[in-house]
Amino acid sequence: MSQSKSPRSYLIIARSSPYGSQQARAALDIALAAAAFEQAVSIVFMDAGVLQLLKNQQADAAGIKNISKVITALELYEVNSIMVHQEAVDKYDLDPSQFVLAVDVVTSEDIKTLIAGADQVMVL
Amino acid sequence: MKFSIVIHGAPWSSNASHSALRYAEAVLECGHEIVRLFFYQDGASNGSSLCVPPQDEINIPEQWQVLINKHGIDAVVCAASALKRGILDEAEADRYEKNAHNLLPGFAVSGLGQLIDAAGQSDRVVSFVQ
Repeated sequence: MSQSKSPRSYLIIARSSPYGSQQARAALDIALAAAAFEQAVSIVFMDAGVLQLLKNQQADAAGIKNISKVITALELYEVNSIMVHQEAVDKYDLDPSQFVLAVDVVTSEDIKTLIAGADQVMVL
Repeated sequence: MKFSIVIHGAPWSSNASHSALRYAEAVLECGHEIVRLFFYQDGASNGSSLCVPPQDEINIPEQWQVLINKHGIDAVVCAASALKRGILDEAEADRYEKNAHNLLPGFAVSGLGQLIDAAGQSDRVVSFVQ
């Protein structure tokens, strides 16, 4: 890898359902890659993306990889900040205790501030 | 300003790739710089030399190639994305003992680290998701 101005701050906005497309996995892979290169990474799950966080996903039954295993790797890769949008939690009638890892619940206003403060924002 | 552009869409499945192509052209016309094009997920299909659209339709992969070669742009297809979609350069075709390779000249196969590297060098990363 060539020299770059680093580390920079990344905000990944994961808003895709876990198995409806490749986008959910793509967002996580970008987050993990950025963290592996020692960038400051935050991820916020919003819209259908909150469903990625649920415990007891039975993806193996459909012959596909369980995305929640990748999500638990976020902590190992030192992704600094893992957040979920309050509106999405409410919309899907979820409770953070149902999630595979501890997340900070954030408001739309918080997300605005996060976007404004990040060097790079990627929405998937 | 320095831009990197991430293309997530296959050539004709959505407008993502065509929009990204036109955006890239506009970026250069406005005097900005493109640090890297990164073709990710279905976007890797833009690297195929075997697309044959009807004559009255734009050949999107070929247009990408023209833009890349004309301006000497760094263009990377994600290796994992490309391999599983059957987009291979000669080295990968040899490695996996496939009987053909089809990556357009001007495109390079590399990893997701190239996206992070590009983002580190760019003022803006613009993604075109279907």
